[in-house]
Amino acid sequence: MKFELSEDQALLRQSTRDFLANEWPIEKSRKVMEDAPRGYDAAAWVRWAEMGYLGLLAPASAGGQGLGAIELAIVCEEVGRACMPGPYLDVVLAAAALSAAGGHDAALSDLCAGKTLTTIAREDAPYAGERIPLARAEGGRVRGTKCFVPFAAQADALLVVASDALWLTHKPFAVTPMPTIDPAQRFGEVAFDHAAARVAAVSVLDRVDRIAAVGASALLLGIMSRCLETTIAYVQTRQAFKRPIGSFQALQHRLAEMLLRTESSRSAVYRAAWCVDCNEPDAALACAAAKAYAGEASRLVCGESIQMHGGIGFTWELDLHFYFKRAKTLEQHYGSTETQFERALNAAGY
Amino acid sequence: MDLRLSERHLKFRDELRAWLAANLPRTWHDELRDPRATEDSLMELRRNWQRKLHRAGYLGMDWPAEWGGRGASEVEKSIFEEELASVDAPQILNFLGIGLLGPALIHHGTEEQRRRYIPPMLAADEIWCQGFSEPGAGSDLASLRTSATLDGDHFIVNGQKIWTTFGPWADWIFVLARTDSKDRHGGISFILCKLNTPGVTVRRLRQITNESEFGEVFFEDARVPRENLVGQIGEGWRIAMTVLAYERGAMSLAYAARFGRDIELLAAACNEYGRKDRAVREKLARLLVENEVMRANGIRNLANLADGNKPGPESSLEKLYWSEFDKRFRETALDILGPGGQLLRTAASARSDVDWAREFLWSRAGTIYSGSSEIQRNIIAKRVLNLPQA
Repeated sequence: MKFELSEDQALLRQSTRDFLANEWPIEKSRKVMEDAPRGYDAAAWVRWAEMGYLGLLAPASAGGQGLGAIELAIVCEEVGRACMPGPYLDVVLAAAALSAAGGHDAALSDLCAGKTLTTIAREDAPYAGERIPLARAEGGRVRGTKCFVPFAAQADALLVVASDALWLTHKPFAVTPMPTIDPAQRFGEVAFDHAAARVAAVSVLDRVDRIAAVGASALLLGIMSRCLETTIAYVQTRQAFKRPIGSFQALQHRLAEMLLRTESSRSAVYRAAWCVDCNEPDAALACAAAKAYAGEASRLVCGESIQMHGGIGFTWELDLHFYFKRAKTLEQHYGSTETQFERALNAAGY
Repeated sequence: MDLRLSERHLKFRDELRAWLAANLPRTWHDELRDPRATEDSLMELRRNWQRKLHRAGYLGMDWPAEWGGRGASEVEKSIFEEELASVDAPQILNFLGIGLLGPALIHHGTEEQRRRYIPPMLAADEIWCQGFSEPGAGSDLASLRTSATLDGDHFIVNGQKIWTTFGPWADWIFVLARTDSKDRHGGISFILCKLNTPGVTVRRLRQITNESEFGEVFFEDARVPRENLVGQIGEGWRIAMTVLAYERGAMSLAYAARFGRDIELLAAACNEYGRKDRAVREKLARLLVENEVMRANGIRNLANLADGNKPGPESSLEKLYWSEFDKRFRETALDILGPGGQLLRTAASARSDVDWAREFLWSRAGTIYSGSSEIQRNIIAKRVLNLPQA
């Protein structure tokens, strides 16, 4: 038994961290988030693809690396720490869907190489519980509207969930941007009337949902770790009443709580990833628990980080708000807390 | 990363499961609910259960062979606790002796002390209680004032201990006493005292559960032989701190097993009462998720132990998690069950699955004993986060 990463996995962590430090330092990412209409740095994206990150989970036959959920968690944790803008998890999930469906090696290999940006169009409505007509697939065409399509305006292809199946469509797409509080993520509403190829039944998304839960909770873990580190450094230097504010018990106890939630998220994320890779019977419950827990933990960790920085924490100038906003996106998407609760209950048979 | 138990540990677990199936006739909860059960009869039951475990070689597994050890480690101990929790076995009677004093004697005692005290401790012939807390020294344990003054070959002990678990049933107490009033930590010694020593009085304390599992112990010029000192004079604090680290071993898995069992029963109760509304399901889901994360923490800690890491100050994170979660869990259970959740087990209409009312009350103790949540957060802030001290 061993919780520590293997040598290869530790190497992956280090090389990912190094790559992100060079290609996506926060100063550069801030500019991309503030100014770049594309929402990510296209040149760095190509190098990222060349390193094999997009095809992390895809089979070698399609130009992928054939790695597992643990490796995805490692990479996502680093992506979260760096607050890297762009559609990373979205593309990985599209690749996971195509891989799980099988027989789409050509599309998959273009995706892994970074040639065709592909994400999954899934949400029907902007507000939870709102009822609107679903997108439908008939006679080889997909018609109807999808909301919160990740990076729809930049996508070359979209996998559309319609009529109990997954359909592959290609640009051009009619996109209405859906800007949110989180500038690291771009969404659009897409009105479909597209020729579409059937990829697989929606049941293929069961596996994708678990990968999504692992990836999103690992991103949240990276975000929380970074916020906590930043805050610990700050409370050690910031002086008030002639002493560092980190010496006040009122802050110390809350920081201890932040560490507890962050480290508990870490246990949950890596255990879930391991369960997915080993096809453990606990995988469904472990994934749902990791995502639900990390989502709620991030409220406390990111929120308290802002609070402990005081006024400067509420400024655009400090990086913290990017993390705070990123966490909010991750909490609601990739299976919201509510959705994960339902999955957990189902998995336990309650 | 590999979170599967090794072949050796799986074998240990399977043997233990088979042994439990053959040797545990009734769950602890069933024993509690038995109308004939009294506090004394339950203590006897725990004594006998301990003897059974001891004969089967399941106590002191990580101690030297002559004291029952069998080359086991923290990993087997954690598996042991998890398995006992999942079948709702009674807790052994002498858990303070075996959990705290045993390790203290093995690491700091003399050969003679080990020979004298360990066998009857394991066999539940002599029950031990822990004399650490005092009315004026709880979280700030080092401010304790019970004194032990050398007078020839005896210590004269004066003072008062409180929250002494099993005090009313114990034969012996291990006491932290002040042998030097000027040296805060270095002035504390670790002394073993027979409770029927003249000058020692034990009084029961009634807990909020209406049980009297703990008591208070008074010392008035009690004469304790000098040979009952463990370690050297002034080493008491250091010894206490090392043994407390044992008490804070990898317990998350055992709690996840125990709470998991109760959450499942709570879910069954929801079905029984047709409580399928969204509000209730969300509460149930939250419990399930938090318990699953606690299990993940336990698996991680177990894997780290199996990988050869020693338990460190991170065990404060474990204690904080399970004890705080216990309170949320039991509150939520009463929410879901409605007023019936508060019925005493003697009530005709009380549920027979879990004594929800008792568990609810007991959950208030976990965040106080064995280092309160405030102390755990202090430890985390200081020793894990390295925050500046005031």
